[in-house]
Order: sequence, then C-alpha cells, then structure tokens
Amino acid sequence: MNVRVFQFNGCNKCFYETILLKLDNKINVELISKPSEWKEESIDLAIITGYLLPADKEWIERIKKNSKKVVAFGDCTTTGGVFALANQKGHKVTPLNSLISNGFNVNGCLGEIEELSYIINEKELPKSKPLCNVCKRRATCDYLDRVNRQIEIDDTNTCFNDLGFLCNGFIAKACKERCIDYNTPCRGCKPMLERSGIRMLGMFGTLMGNVEMATEHSEKGATDKLADADDDVTESLPDILGNFFRFTLPTSGLPTGRIPSSGKLLQDVFTGRLIEELPLITGLLGGNKSISLTLKIIESYEKANNIEISEQTKKYRAELLKLESELIKATSEEDAQKYKETTEKIRKIAGNMNLSNLYFGGFKKQIEDNDNFETYKSHVFEVVEGIYKNGSVNYSIDPKGIIKEIKIKEG
Amino acid sequence: MSDCEVIDEEIKEKIQNVVVFMCNECGQGSANTAGVARMAYEPAIRIVRVQCTGQIGPIQIMDALSNGADAVACVGCCIGACHFFNGNLLSMHRIKLMKKLFKELGYSDQFINQYTSRAAEGETAVGDFEDIVDRLTTAIKEEGTIKDEC
Repeated sequence: MNVRVFQFNGCNKCFYETILLKLDNKINVELISKPSEWKEESIDLAIITGYLLPADKEWIERIKKNSKKVVAFGDCTTTGGVFALANQKGHKVTPLNSLISNGFNVNGCLGEIEELSYIINEKELPKSKPLCNVCKRRATCDYLDRVNRQIEIDDTNTCFNDLGFLCNGFIAKACKERCIDYNTPCRGCKPMLERSGIRMLGMFGTLMGNVEMATEHSEKGATDKLADADDDVTESLPDILGNFFRFTLPTSGLPTGRIPSSGKLLQDVFTGRLIEELPLITGLLGGNKSISLTLKIIESYEKANNIEISEQTKKYRAELLKLESELIKATSEEDAQKYKETTEKIRKIAGNMNLSNLYFGGFKKQIEDNDNFETYKSHVFEVVEGIYKNGSVNYSIDPKGIIKEIKIKEG
Repeated sequence: MSDCEVIDEEIKEKIQNVVVFMCNECGQGSANTAGVARMAYEPAIRIVRVQCTGQIGPIQIMDALSNGADAVACVGCCIGACHFFNGNLLSMHRIKLMKKLFKELGYSDQFINQYTSRAAEGETAVGDFEDIVDRLTTAIKEEGTIKDEC
C-alpha cells in the first residue's frame, strides 16, 4: 500500500509521528516535507499534517486528485489547531474539511497513530469513551466561589473544575496523551462533539454561579441589567479564547477576529495568552524542537524572578535536552525504531509529547518511583510584569500575566 | 475602524432582527402587559418565549447570531425573583463570558445583553427593548456589525 505524508505549515510533530507507520511492513510510507516539490503520482492514501491556509488549496486539490483517500492527521489539519488562535487577529487558518471534502479525520494534538493505523487497514475504530470516565478525579459540580489560575498539586482526587481550575475534560474524548495524568487540566484537543468550545463555555459559566457578578440600573427599563463593567467573572478568566477555543476556533462558528495583527502568524498565536499557559502552548507547537523552546521560556522567567530550581530538576531538564537532540537525529534519518525509543524516554520524563509535566520551578508529577518528588515539585508562582529574554526567545507580560509581545526566532 | 463607519440613516436598515429570549414568567409577562396597554416598540424585536432565561446559553446565542440575528438579548425576572431558583443569574454569568469573548475577538460587546423586567409593568419590557436598540445603534456606529467583517 502506497502512503504519502504531506507536511504543510507549522509544527512538524504529527508529521514525524507518522514515521511509526514504517514499523508496519505492509505499508510503503514516504514523508514529503514540501508538498510543492512532490512529483505527482497515483497513491492509495494521502495523510495531511500541519495547519492550512486558503493559499494551500491548489496543492490539496492536486493531492486529492491523485489519491484514493485523504486523511487529515492532527488537530491543526482537522480543526485548525493551536495555530488557529491567530484567527483572533484576522489570519485565515482553515481546517481541511472546508477546503476539500474528506471523510477521515484523526483528531488530537498529537494525532494518535493507532487511530491512523485503523483507518489505513480499513478496520473499524474502537468506540471512544468520554475523558471524565477514565479520569481518577471525582466531580461534585458545586458552584464555584472563585476561579483559580494556578493550583497547588496536592489534591489529586477532586475534579479540576471543582477546584476552580478550568479543565476541558467535559467535552473531550479519552486520549493517548492524557494531560490529566500529569496534574494538567485537559485542553480539549480531542473534542467529543461539535462546537465544543462554546458548549464548554456554557458549562463553565454555569459552574461559576457563585462568583460575584456586576449589575447596573437600566434607565429606560427602570430595572436591573447585566453591567458592562469588568467584574470578578471577567477578571478571573482573562483569556477566554485561548482557554476554551485553543484547538477549535475555525470550527466554533465564531466570527474571524478583528484585533490588529502583528503580521507574523506565530506571534499572533501567543499574544493575548497567559504566562502560566505559555509552556503548554510551546509544548504543543514547537515540533521536534519543542523541548528547548519550552525550557528557554521557563528558564528565562525563573532566572528573572529568582524561582529556585533543584539539582534534580536540572538533571531531568538536561536529560530532556539530550533526548531532544536524539529525537531530531531520529527524525532526520526517519529511523522508526529509534524514534519510538526516544519518544518513549521523553514521555517518561515530560509526561507526553506535549510536555505536560514541565512547568515553572520543576515538574508536576513524580518521574521515578524511587526519587524524592518534594525536591523537584513545582509550586504556584507569582505573576510578575516584565520583559523576559533568553537566546532566541523574547517576551513581555503585563501585570495580569497576559503576553503583550513575543519574538521567537524560527528554526 | 474607519472602514466600518456607517452613516445614521443606514443603521436603521442594518437593524432588522434583534432576537430577545423572554422568560415565561416576568419577561413574557411584562411583554403581555405592554401588549394589553397597546404600547409601541421597535419592529426589529423578535421575541422567543422560553421557560427561564437559565435555558439560554452560548449555543443558543451563537445559533441566533449565525442565522442572521443582528443582536441577541435575554429578558428575565428581577434579581432574586427567578421562578426557577437562580436561572437568571446563571444565564447572566454565561452571557457575561460571551460578552468578554466578543471583546477579545475585537467586536463590540453590545451584541449580547441581559435585562430584567417586572410582569405587572409593561413599560419595563418596552424600556428594555428601547435600550437594546439604542446600545446596538451606538455599537454599529462605532464598530460596525458582526456581518461587516471589517
């Protein structure tokens, strides 16, 4: 069976994940990182990864013409993914479904290779469960008195949402990456239903029932109305778009944003996001260089604000950086066995390929059974306004912790 | 936003459909009272009767907006007087989040609003309708409609 994988724009994590298909001898896989250089040939199956812009339509149509099946692999291709947050500033990141009609979508950030194998081998997919069914935490769904942007990770039995810590698990399917296992709330990369972000917004808005909300007197109606001024409800969620629509903005039905753009798509993805979310976003979109990018951001903040990190943390971080260079080597050689081994090692330390376990000041979950977790546990940190620099990364945050400006040298 | 500027005469034409979800108790009650007293209100107002404004959330609001409504508003019972315990407060929380979301996208937050009214006083509902249209007019004047996409 002839399979071709095409990488369009952005992060290449899903693209390299398809190297694992080479472990199956029946499939002849070829990875094409520049679709414009592809010599058109008749193929059985085309896999499309990376985010798409309307300008890519021509190449997508050519691919469709030459292949029997087209599969969108990963959130960027199926729903716009994290890069589509730039649509807030007028960019037009488009899901594959609105460019051509394709029947096969593999959601998730990172896309699940097992699910892709089922489609390639034309087997029926196993029935998926809601994420809350497999989560160890238990929910009461009581009204919240306040929303927390960060929590201490001592309580591992109460639902994140009950702790006032937004988790998108309500609308998500059970997945392979399982951020929830690493004391990180679900970001909703594998939605179970359509317009998941809007539904989650309704759900969380209801949960916020006890949070103070401002009303004002309406002159004309002579009764009370909902006030326009900021109150605890809006103050406690400074970035609704980034928290609820992180992966699904183009398919959510919301209009394209009118916020002025900086001109660069990558910068527009980051501006407006929150500092505590930053390592999670870089972990998502850094491709095979996500570890060094995430660590650069974390370390610049730690250094400037004197957040102490232990020897154990440094050791694990150094190990991760070493694994990253091994990963880059494995991906450039397209060595499936080596890729599998390296990613398994990365998953052991960083939790998953989205690096959920990495955080400011340490790690969120115990890595080895026999080491002392207290020595490298991350804690709630203070949000400090300022400009942070580290090598190719340069960003500034405002007093609320919202990213004002960011510069990342690509490559 | 100079491209979005609209002259005053055009605004009236732009406001054709304002969907107002009114709760079956105070909201619809006061609209009925206004009807009995033959009070006049804007023809653009389209009333949808619901049991309680607590039934209205982001999904219903987005459905209305994406199917051609120029603005959406909820009219419920007065604070503390909801006939279903706290439905009006819950929908106010959700609508506040929706307003913030529209602001984050660079649109005016006046496309979505929530009001209260009293069943015995028809003028509260009519006053709310007037306020909705006034606020929408100012919003369109300054920042254009949602459909303009400018």
